[in-house]
Amino acid sequence: MNSDLRSELHKKAEQAWPDLELLIGWQAGYDDLHTTPVFIRDSAEISKLIWNPWCTQNLAVYVAKHFAASSGKDDKKIGVCVKGCDSRSLIALLQENLVARERFYIIGMPCKGIVDLRKLHALSGAARILSVQVNAEQVALKSAAGVLHFPLDEVLMRKCRRCRYPNPLIHDVLVGDPLTPRTDAHEAYNDVAAIERLSLQERLAFWQGELDRCLRCYACRNACPLCVCQDRCIAETRDPKWLTQYMHLPEKFMFHFIHALHLAGRCTECGECERVCPMEIPVALIKEALNKITLELLDFEAGLDPQRVPPLLTFDAGETGI
Amino acid sequence: MRIGVFVCQCGTNIASTVETEAVAREALQHPDVVYATSYMYTCSEPGQQQIQRAIQEENLQGVVVAACSPRMHEPTFRRAVEKAGLNRFMFEMANIREHVSWISNDRQANTRKAAELVHMAVAKLRFNHPLSPSRVAINKRVLVIGGGVAGIQAALDCAEGGLEVVLVERQPSIGGKMAKLDKTFPTIDCSSCILGPKMVDVAQKENIRLYACSEVESVAGYIGNFSVQIRRKATCVDWNLCTGCGLCMEKCPAKKVPDHFNEDLGNTRAIGIPFPQAIPKKATIDKEHCRQFTRGKCGVCKKICPVGAIDYEMEDEFISEDFGAIIVATGFDLFDHSSYGEYGGGRFPDVISGLQYERILSASGPFGGHIQRPSDGRQPRNIVFIACVGSRDASVDRPYCSGVCCMYIAKQAILTRDHLPDSNCYVFYMDIRSPGKNYDEFVRRAQEEYGVNYIRGRVGKIYPKNNHLIVQGADTLLGAQVEVEADLVVLATGVEASAGARELAEKLRISYDQYGFYMESHPKLRPVETNTAGVYLAGVCQGPKDIPSSVAQGSAAAAKVQALFSRDTIETSPQVALVNERACVACGKCIQVCPFGAIQWKELRGGIQKAEVLPSVCQGCGLCNATCPPKAVQLQHCTDNQILAEIDVLCA
Amino acid sequence: MTQSHDNPAHKQALTIVGFLCNWCSYGGADTAGVCRFKQPTDLRIIRVPCTGRMDPLFIARSLILGADGVLVSGCHPKDCHYAVGNLYARRRLEVLKRMLPFMGIDGDRFRYTWVSASEGQRWQQVVTEFSEQIRSLGPNPGVTGKSAAAATA
Repeated sequence: MNSDLRSELHKKAEQAWPDLELLIGWQAGYDDLHTTPVFIRDSAEISKLIWNPWCTQNLAVYVAKHFAASSGKDDKKIGVCVKGCDSRSLIALLQENLVARERFYIIGMPCKGIVDLRKLHALSGAARILSVQVNAEQVALKSAAGVLHFPLDEVLMRKCRRCRYPNPLIHDVLVGDPLTPRTDAHEAYNDVAAIERLSLQERLAFWQGELDRCLRCYACRNACPLCVCQDRCIAETRDPKWLTQYMHLPEKFMFHFIHALHLAGRCTECGECERVCPMEIPVALIKEALNKITLELLDFEAGLDPQRVPPLLTFDAGETGI
Repeated sequence: MRIGVFVCQCGTNIASTVETEAVAREALQHPDVVYATSYMYTCSEPGQQQIQRAIQEENLQGVVVAACSPRMHEPTFRRAVEKAGLNRFMFEMANIREHVSWISNDRQANTRKAAELVHMAVAKLRFNHPLSPSRVAINKRVLVIGGGVAGIQAALDCAEGGLEVVLVERQPSIGGKMAKLDKTFPTIDCSSCILGPKMVDVAQKENIRLYACSEVESVAGYIGNFSVQIRRKATCVDWNLCTGCGLCMEKCPAKKVPDHFNEDLGNTRAIGIPFPQAIPKKATIDKEHCRQFTRGKCGVCKKICPVGAIDYEMEDEFISEDFGAIIVATGFDLFDHSSYGEYGGGRFPDVISGLQYERILSASGPFGGHIQRPSDGRQPRNIVFIACVGSRDASVDRPYCSGVCCMYIAKQAILTRDHLPDSNCYVFYMDIRSPGKNYDEFVRRAQEEYGVNYIRGRVGKIYPKNNHLIVQGADTLLGAQVEVEADLVVLATGVEASAGARELAEKLRISYDQYGFYMESHPKLRPVETNTAGVYLAGVCQGPKDIPSSVAQGSAAAAKVQALFSRDTIETSPQVALVNERACVACGKCIQVCPFGAIQWKELRGGIQKAEVLPSVCQGCGLCNATCPPKAVQLQHCTDNQILAEIDVLCA
Repeated sequence: MTQSHDNPAHKQALTIVGFLCNWCSYGGADTAGVCRFKQPTDLRIIRVPCTGRMDPLFIARSLILGADGVLVSGCHPKDCHYAVGNLYARRRLEVLKRMLPFMGIDGDRFRYTWVSASEGQRWQQVVTEFSEQIRSLGPNPGVTGKSAAAATA
């Protein structure tokens, strides 16, 4: 089935190519478990494109940060492959006029979920993973210790198990048929709720424990498709001087407040910040908590409707209750 | 930076609950503070000289004064340091009077707090930069909105000074409420005799352009450079042709049109000139009643008009004009007394408003100046006046005093007794408010010379009986119930904000109070200014007042405009936002949120876009600064670094 | 003023940071002073032009560093000197207020409100209530766990 989808992806990319100057997708990495982004500028390379449950990177990150300002030669567009979650990032960029829709050709990939490598490694124990096969809803993991079988759901990323939008919300072409959303998606904020059930002191202790590990490597920020400041991030500037280079806990808290509050009403929950964290800090949880707040308070979810303005960039004179 | 700290004792205002010497001593501990002292009155001449001397002798580069509120004396001290050669923005104030010594008697806690506030001011000052104002040219044209007596006065005074004036009036004629009055208190001058010549002046001044039947549609820009769109409503009569002959009005077959100028006491025609002294003296069609519009056919006026001025197809026209200043004189409306069920709720034809009675008294009114009842035309014998109808009454959300009713009742009672010597006048009142020049004497004359019966108390009920109105009330001085068999009841209806006042305020970006009256910049010291620079107030739109006060405000507003226009350029505050182009990531969020449209895109070489602040449009709110993710846009004199420095003094 | 405010022996110094807009609430605090309305002394006011200037991060930073309370006050909605600054602010401030407890910081340590320049009495009430509230919460441990007293010493 995966190979069917892959040939469909190749076919649709070929069809679109005459209008494109660049196509961003996924290609095979150094082993079965890893994929890397590929930037195709020559139609001969289209065959490199792959699609499987390891295509984890949110390619929307490149759209805003690198190609938003590029002017198309002969009105040629930039093609980009997106999963459901990635498509919301694109819509959020459109909501803020950070990209122009007509510059992009969007190849939508209905997605059943992406495998979380950390879970896979945890399940395989110490043994080195030799190969992995995904067949329908099952994962077969072959290691020196033998072959293990798991339900696919068990090794999916946290964001995928709470996914409500498996189908790209914006696309020019779809590869494969639209999927039915998960039935347990209403529990999307379960992880947030679990923290909320803790006492105030326990919550503080939890975050003290988690954030103390932060190295301030800024990988979370760099992987975020909506963190548009990059080198100008106020975590690193001297003027204004919001943070010092000290590795104190308050500085670490402050950095994560900056990152999260800058995404309030904007985060599309692609989970990239959490995936790339080398210290495995659940940083996406903070943004999920903010999303829960903006949903309850302002009835807004980022990255759904390209026409809506993010709630903290506008106001409603008549709103009550706040 | 070399910083000097000056702790003011404010006599004993501060020193009695703050150890000012200790505060000064502690200030010397802070980085960069090289001089600190305490003084009796820092704002006094010797106090200011002390600062100036210290700047010279100690080579100070920044000054902190710990004293009263910066809203009080920041401008004073800024001038003082500027005279000594410092940039006026190298100055900070710590408020240790209003925020410290006056709100607590705990000397120890106060001293601690004052010392911390000084520390915060020092910490902020270390991030201050010299700032210089920029200058923009002033467009020396003034817009006056509202052609009542206040607006007329303002327009005439401005025109007298040689300014180009545009006067916009919503009604077909200027004159406002004063044009409807019969006489004015306390001199019993004929109202139209004193207002009429001023109205004519407006029409004749070459540098006043009058747009009647017009409204302000939108306002953009800022002091010195406003751009205003004016809607000229379709009158269906070409005013360039209309000679004001009045033939159309004579022949118009729609005869049962309520006469708004006469407060609906009589009828008029669907086309016509509102009153004989109207300026401009031009006809207007009332589309609501004109048969050409209601029935689709008639055309009598079009046939009869000797100059062919009638144009049924006329549509609203929009014109744009540029101004350097705006005077708002939109006046008021009368409280609608139908909300008072005890006075008949507007159902009794012989219970009328104060302004209706003015029209009855007026020789040009519906009854030719003969006092008669609207219901049957009979001459009344017993006339009751009730004060405070829609004033000083929280139950109808009008807790304020309308200021003029006590006086106009006295005037109307005197006029009534003049016209009808056999009549009896009764006035039910709460208190008599007559603080103006010759006002109290006037009320006394009504009571003593004219024999008007003043009864202190409220009326509880009015009901009709045998062609009379029975007025039941209390006399609180006698402690007795009173009942008067009245023929006519005049309610001293109060003043309320003009319909549409709030919408206009939004367009002008000026504030209004909970009742819709416009807010002056300072209740005592800036009575005709608003918090939007270049917009001034005159007349009742700012709050209830009588004719002399309205005229005085009209002149005051005109004087403010003249003072503004006496220069060719104005300084704009340098406390505006500024973009660091290197840090700007061109996300456009500042442009999106700016309430004033003060930020725009700027294209650098290679097509790179950056945000750019227009300093003359920026009002300095800092919303862009709070919104900018990389903090590339910084509000000068209130930068992130400055606020962070203050926070860190307290928390770090 | 109650006895507990008056007698320094009864209290430990608290740090309450106030961010007041220049046009309304700062004037309201001045009015309260001019009227000699007695208030607790823990508040330190930072003057900003408008609550629209308030980046929620200023508040977050104050509380992370160990401020015992943060009070933001501006013009009443629809009375903003800059027309709409406070309408943006109230959304941003409310979002922050709801986010703080998720991170383990008591949301009751932060309050935002609206006080006009003429409402001296209301200002006195706001300061008194908020100071009492912070007093009852006690010192803010900050995110490092050290006491606020130690942090500000």
